[in-house]
Amino acid sequence: MVEFRQVSKVYPNGVCALRDVTLRIEPEEFVFIVGPTGTGKSTLTRMVYREELPSSGQVLVGGRNVTQMPVQQVPFLRRRVGVVFQDFKLLPRKTAWENVAFALEVTGTPPSEIAPRVGEVLEVVGLAPRAGAIPRELSAGEQQRVSIARALVHRPPLLVADEPTGNLDPDTSWEIVQLLSRINLRGTTVIVTTHDKTIVDILRKRVIALDRGAVIRDEARGLYAGGH
Amino acid sequence: MPAATRPARAVRPASMPRVNRGARPARGAAYFIREGVEGFKRNGLMSVAAVTITMVTLTALGAAFIVASTLDLLAAGVERNLEVVVYLREGLRQSDVGAVRTRLLRLPGVTEVAFVSKEDALASFQQRLGGKVDLKEFLSHNPLPESFAVTADRPERLEAIAAAAGQLPQVEHASYGGPTIDRLTAVTRIVRLAGLVASAGLALVAMIIIVNTIRLTVFARRMEIEVMRLVGATAWFIRWPFVIEGAITGAVAACAALILITGTYAWLAWTMGGSLPFLPLISPLEVARDLAWKLMVWGVLIGIGGSLLAVRRFLSH
Repeated sequence: MVEFRQVSKVYPNGVCALRDVTLRIEPEEFVFIVGPTGTGKSTLTRMVYREELPSSGQVLVGGRNVTQMPVQQVPFLRRRVGVVFQDFKLLPRKTAWENVAFALEVTGTPPSEIAPRVGEVLEVVGLAPRAGAIPRELSAGEQQRVSIARALVHRPPLLVADEPTGNLDPDTSWEIVQLLSRINLRGTTVIVTTHDKTIVDILRKRVIALDRGAVIRDEARGLYAGGH
Repeated sequence: MPAATRPARAVRPASMPRVNRGARPARGAAYFIREGVEGFKRNGLMSVAAVTITMVTLTALGAAFIVASTLDLLAAGVERNLEVVVYLREGLRQSDVGAVRTRLLRLPGVTEVAFVSKEDALASFQQRLGGKVDLKEFLSHNPLPESFAVTADRPERLEAIAAAAGQLPQVEHASYGGPTIDRLTAVTRIVRLAGLVASAGLALVAMIIIVNTIRLTVFARRMEIEVMRLVGATAWFIRWPFVIEGAITGAVAACAALILITGTYAWLAWTMGGSLPFLPLISPLEVARDLAWKLMVWGVLIGIGGSLLAVRRFLSH
């Protein structure tokens, strides 16, 4: 589903975010990418939906080389990669329902399809009863659920969550991770970056650890700190 | 607002391909226009400034256009009745006049020689002035000379005919419209060029102001734009509202410029029409009709150009 081949990233200011990263994520996998802040986790995820290009190496998503993808095709890639952020990125004046519908509206979905699909994903994230609330009226966990619903509304085969629990308390973090895990069980590949030791250690999924831009560990059913 | 939600169904990912490539939404146009109008209104004074400077640009363009076409009309009028006017000296005898006529008729290319008496000349002058002035009231005697109006088979011959006629001893002076036309054409060209240069300079200023106005909208909607990019909206989908905001700026400016130009022109035509009877005036209504679409096209082009520049840097990555 996702493949990095000797990917390096050096920013114009000389900071090296990724060093020779090679990894492969299979369809329907659930992968944690862990490591302290500033180790290139975000850079890595941003390359998956081509918000960022590597300085060298190749990134393949769904079998397609996104490093050589023409700019006009990027929007179509993004409809197949759901993205979730630490800061939710919800539009403050729109309701939960409208925030999710927005993703369909701006990508030319026929109006008749919008309502059923929005209802469906809000149900999946357990937020159907709060559909009419604006972000300010929702708790942080609920806001993150809205953003997950928005990421899912295009029915993407791949979901990328960059520090989805970064702004949440431990209980809510756990709920969100469980939700992501359930989404994964439905057949969606999920990539989650985090530096939350607890959830990684409880879930025992594949763990890829980064340190100063390099992969230092890649374990199936791994722990945050490594070792068993 | 929430639509009736259905029982949860598995959000089954359609295996990778099958994208809704480039489908333009039916509701797209309404959305773009609504957002474009919204942006225009939200920018308030900046929009007014952008419209004003675009209007000034279009007014300069339109004014140059009117002056040039009036001069064109004048030149065409002169060209249409090209003839050599051979003015005779005062006090010639009837036989001298007849001799001149004979000599003129013998010049190569001459097709017709018509005698214009002093009375005829005065009458035709009076006619050109219209009924506003009565020449007889302040002329003690008729100052206009007798003349022959000489027409030729081809306009190129006129210069030679005028030169030959000028040599005759009974002839005071012979002239034809050629030099006048040359001068008019030169002036027309200068007016056109000056208008173009001034308009181009102003258009640049207008564009810069439009770019900055639309940047305000881009800034106000930056979060929305970010989300749009992340969920896979195409660059054109994101651009359209700004393009429409720019087009609105240009169109409003074009309407204002049209009103300004036509109003000023009608006023000038009304106040000066009497004092410049020889000037061929286009009717204000015709001016408006002729300029309307030109100004609209230019205004909208300037507006769209500005808006594309405004979002260009923002969308390229």
